[in-house]
Amino acid sequence: MSRTHRGWQGAAAFGATLALVLTACGSNGGDSSGNGEPSGDPVTGGTLVYLEHQPHDTLYPPAAGFYPNGGLVNNITDRLVYQNPETLEFEPWIATDWEVNEDATQYTFDLRSDVTFSDGSALDAEVVAANFDLYGLGDPDRALTVSEAVNNYASSEVVDADTVVFNFSAPAPGFLQATSTINSGLVSASTLEGAFEDFGPGNGQNVIGSGPFVITAEEIGTSVTLGAREDYAWAPASRENQGRAYVDEVQVTVTPEDSVRVGALTSGQADVIRYVEAQDEAQVAGAGLEIYAPQTRGVNNSLSLRFTNPILSDIRVRQALIAGIDRQEVVDTIYTENYPLATSSLSSTALGYENLEDYYAFDPERAADLLDEAGWTLGADGIREKDGQSLTLVVNEAAPQPRSFEALTLISQQLAEIGVDLQILRADAGTYTEAIQDAGQVQIYHSMVGRADLDVIKSQYYSTNRNTLLNRDPATDTIADPELEALLEAVASEADGDTRIANSQAVQTYLAENAYVIPLFEEPQVFGSQTDVAGFSFESVGRPSFYEVWLDR
Amino acid sequence: MTAEAPTDVRVPDGAPTPGAPRTRGSGAVGRSTPPTGGGRVVALLTGYVPRRLGQALIVLWIAFTAAFVLLQALPGDAIMIRFENPELGLSPEQIADIRASYGVDDPVLIQYLHTFAGFVRGDFGYSVQSGTPVQQLIAEAFPQTLVLAAAGFVLAVLLAFAIAFLSASASFAWIRTALRSVPSLFVSVPVFWLGIVLIQSFSFRLGWVAVINPGPVEGLILPVLTLAVPIAAPIAQILTRSIDEVYTQPFVRVVQAKGASPSWVLWRNVLKNATLPTLTMAGILFGELIGGAVVTETVFGRSGIGRITEQAVAHQDTPVLQAVVLLAATAFVLINLAVDLIYPKLDPRLARQVGASR
Amino acid sequence: MTESRLLEATPMLPQVAEPVPGTPALPGSATPHAQPRRRRGGRIRVTEVIPWLVIAIVVAWAALPGLFTSYGPTAGDAAAALQGPSGEHLFGTDATGRDMFTRVVYGSVHSLSGALVAVSVGLVLGTGIGVIAGSVGGFVDDVLMRVVDVLLAVPTLLLSLSVIILLGFGTVQAAVAVGIASVAAFARLSRSEVVRVRRSDYVEAAFASGGTFFNVVRRHVLPNSLTAVIALAALQFGTAILAISTLGFLGYGAPPPTPEWGLMIAEGRNYVATAWWLTTLPGLVVVAVVLSANRISADIARRGRA
Repeated sequence: MSRTHRGWQGAAAFGATLALVLTACGSNGGDSSGNGEPSGDPVTGGTLVYLEHQPHDTLYPPAAGFYPNGGLVNNITDRLVYQNPETLEFEPWIATDWEVNEDATQYTFDLRSDVTFSDGSALDAEVVAANFDLYGLGDPDRALTVSEAVNNYASSEVVDADTVVFNFSAPAPGFLQATSTINSGLVSASTLEGAFEDFGPGNGQNVIGSGPFVITAEEIGTSVTLGAREDYAWAPASRENQGRAYVDEVQVTVTPEDSVRVGALTSGQADVIRYVEAQDEAQVAGAGLEIYAPQTRGVNNSLSLRFTNPILSDIRVRQALIAGIDRQEVVDTIYTENYPLATSSLSSTALGYENLEDYYAFDPERAADLLDEAGWTLGADGIREKDGQSLTLVVNEAAPQPRSFEALTLISQQLAEIGVDLQILRADAGTYTEAIQDAGQVQIYHSMVGRADLDVIKSQYYSTNRNTLLNRDPATDTIADPELEALLEAVASEADGDTRIANSQAVQTYLAENAYVIPLFEEPQVFGSQTDVAGFSFESVGRPSFYEVWLDR
Repeated sequence: MTAEAPTDVRVPDGAPTPGAPRTRGSGAVGRSTPPTGGGRVVALLTGYVPRRLGQALIVLWIAFTAAFVLLQALPGDAIMIRFENPELGLSPEQIADIRASYGVDDPVLIQYLHTFAGFVRGDFGYSVQSGTPVQQLIAEAFPQTLVLAAAGFVLAVLLAFAIAFLSASASFAWIRTALRSVPSLFVSVPVFWLGIVLIQSFSFRLGWVAVINPGPVEGLILPVLTLAVPIAAPIAQILTRSIDEVYTQPFVRVVQAKGASPSWVLWRNVLKNATLPTLTMAGILFGELIGGAVVTETVFGRSGIGRITEQAVAHQDTPVLQAVVLLAATAFVLINLAVDLIYPKLDPRLARQVGASR
Repeated sequence: MTESRLLEATPMLPQVAEPVPGTPALPGSATPHAQPRRRRGGRIRVTEVIPWLVIAIVVAWAALPGLFTSYGPTAGDAAAALQGPSGEHLFGTDATGRDMFTRVVYGSVHSLSGALVAVSVGLVLGTGIGVIAGSVGGFVDDVLMRVVDVLLAVPTLLLSLSVIILLGFGTVQAAVAVGIASVAAFARLSRSEVVRVRRSDYVEAAFASGGTFFNVVRRHVLPNSLTAVIALAALQFGTAILAISTLGFLGYGAPPPTPEWGLMIAEGRNYVATAWWLTTLPGLVVVAVVLSANRISADIARRGRA
């Protein structure tokens, strides 16, 4: 650890949030080990049966945000830098050391020289440079996309076999964290030559990483087998295990039916299952099994109010929606204690979080007053009207989010009380993709994004990223609220850590003051596990790591 | 329709209609007048097969084209669904580049010719959603579905025979009545619900069979049962009805009077009568099964053509869907052709009666 | 979807092909055991009444849901979520505290009209194609029946899902999708019936005595081919409810919170182990209705024969 490492905006800058992170983890039994967990020395060997909710659709790291993809990529690849999931600090992994210039436009990494990919080729500066050239620039001809986490990437330079330099066209303060995410999983030179097709299901065995596991078998759409790599010896120093993974094999089996997944766990046919729905938690806990609920530490599960829509352009209407939704009831009814009520647009476990719960108080009378004030009067059918137009809004069902439909159903019942008609859009993928990009069709957008970096808020709201507020109208390409744009840019382009945190908090405050967002809850990833599965852990946003798992049986 | 069997070459057209042979009454088989008379018998041997093959190819081509048109008409396209997903966080420029590289905005006719030429060459392209070659997807899924469908069908036939036999021979009237309503009950149960209940009871509660990473045979037990129940129903109905009809025939009483064992007479005739409709239906059912075990496959987490189809529809994965359509249409055409050709061989009466006046 | 489609193409059909009443050419066709029952006539058999009773109740639910329940179909009481069946909530409550019995009652209008639309689509389109093909014959027949072949050749699931994607999500759309998938069955059945009737002596005679084509088809062919088609329609009614529920299972059914039966069963399946009433009770209602429809179909066919 050189001066540069320490000098970088590491621990000190995050001190404020750190305490919050730790308390939050403790409070929900999150990623720390559960109660009945086995103790003693890890046992090597055995097969872990892991049930996935959906089949993976690609192993191309920048497109691996989809949890089934990420769960595999996290275990078959290593990253330059390790973000400790408990402290969120950065620790050496493949890079032993790094240096960032003053304005965060140049990063230099020193690499370990003993790391090999599972095909035997060396993990050297050359291949690292090639990885980030692809992830930072993409290749449309091969349908390989740019990584969402890598901004302003310009070029790489290979200094020598174990030193690589990355240059950026503008400050890229989030890059160090970006190198620690699964979206920057390092793959071999042969893998990098492939097109999007070569990363697809059925080709898993050809996606070569340097991680503790290797894909040894695959049945498209149903199962993937991960085999432990015998010669793995380059785990981050803070991990207990420094050698090969304890289990010999992880059998990842796709089981789309929730009831079947949970039943398989409680009947002992599976060791670990992902995506335990809130209503099934009691069943898992009741069977004496473990529940893990690591937080996703990013933008909360929330409703983006698209203020470019004529109805929602009135801040009073947006405020009325916020005041008219009893979020506590939603959390209590639809979810469990693993889904804490949101108190800002960012999760309390996210970097840069600021508590803004006062803005999001439930007050139906105030909601009604605000709507009256805005000229929306109650019609005969209980729905408010103005100039012959009824107060009808459409929200999308967010299929990837837990119980989106149930939550929205309850919210629409609550809003009906104040005379707002909330329709839920459930549609085929084509119609859906078109509709969510049109504020005329979907006025309220339900989504979340998890990433343990300050950039995450920009990912969610910035015009050329997810653009969930439709601040940039896709049809006309115009920006409705330039101030929001500027605030978001400031988060992602400021090199100084403290200033970045302040900038992120400024965005959160701006979103709250303008009533642009209704945060619902802090979204976890919920897993269920047998009690004799030890060492099950997660990366910083809840993707499973099988590296230290061992079976006490 | 079955009545036309001997004469009208388009027998399978009648398949979904009642297949029951008209054994009841006199001159049961073929009350209808053959369109052209006995000449067709010769045609069967000479012009018939080539003509059917030609028609089959035309059906395949129309199915392919219809599917292409249908898929083009759907809102959005696979590229949009895959890459404009906000979760990827791509900028409009990046999306435009990818669209151009896939050629999705080329004129429709060019895309059609391109796809068609590919299929003729046997190149089905790549899945847009996952990038996996379509051939590989199908090659991995097809055997799974085939095994499931075949086993499901065999079990269904066995079940149907059991139901029919018991409902004809059970000693108490109320048992017979109850058994007769079993087929109706079988078709009234939603398949996905049946699957889930079977898993919950036999795997999770009783622990008799594993559903997670089971052995090859073990893994088939519950899905096959789930699939067989609704298929068994119509077959059982045909058999039961056949039994009824045979019982009412005078010749059965004659044979019985002559001292033949009643059950021997019964079953010989029932089988003779029920084989054709069952076979016809097998053609239809089997073709459907190939493309259609989606519910069973989803519930049991099996890979198969049904799952692929459902996922491909969800993502409008055109290359995959085109291949599935072609596969299903081929299966349909082949099975029907086979059924057509087997028909006269199975029941020589059909051939003999051709041209007989009614 | 497809599993149910299997059935739609087939069951019960033998009777359907039986001679139709008033077919003078086929005097010997009356079923021996059907005759005596008919003569027993006046007495109404319980087993024939129950199905009608079931349908009547369900139709009453659809027409006047407010008479049967005091709760609202979409308004939930979050505090009373996931309660088992009781005097207060006959069928229990769901995850958002809505009364399941109320939802079943209010859902009947969606499910029944859905099934009705599905059957009508299949009946009108299918019978249209079948009657034209069967009446005109020749080249038209060939072409139409190849079209039907294509309909059968494309996997039903794909066909239904594509139709839904084209039309959008909704009860009616799902119903139309199911209906279109059954066009082929109706077309083949009606064609074979028409062909059969057309060839009967009395129709030949009608033509011979100078009846115009349309008149003969309308006066003689259609009415005599109808019984079988109606029996299939009654059968389809039950099948359509199942098919729509299967679409709901795959996520293509009516959009919630429509209290549609199939959707309720599909939504409740995740609770099979913890809240059995969510799928079981609406499931039993569906089974009862489908069984009744099948029964009625069989009775229609039998009466037709007798």
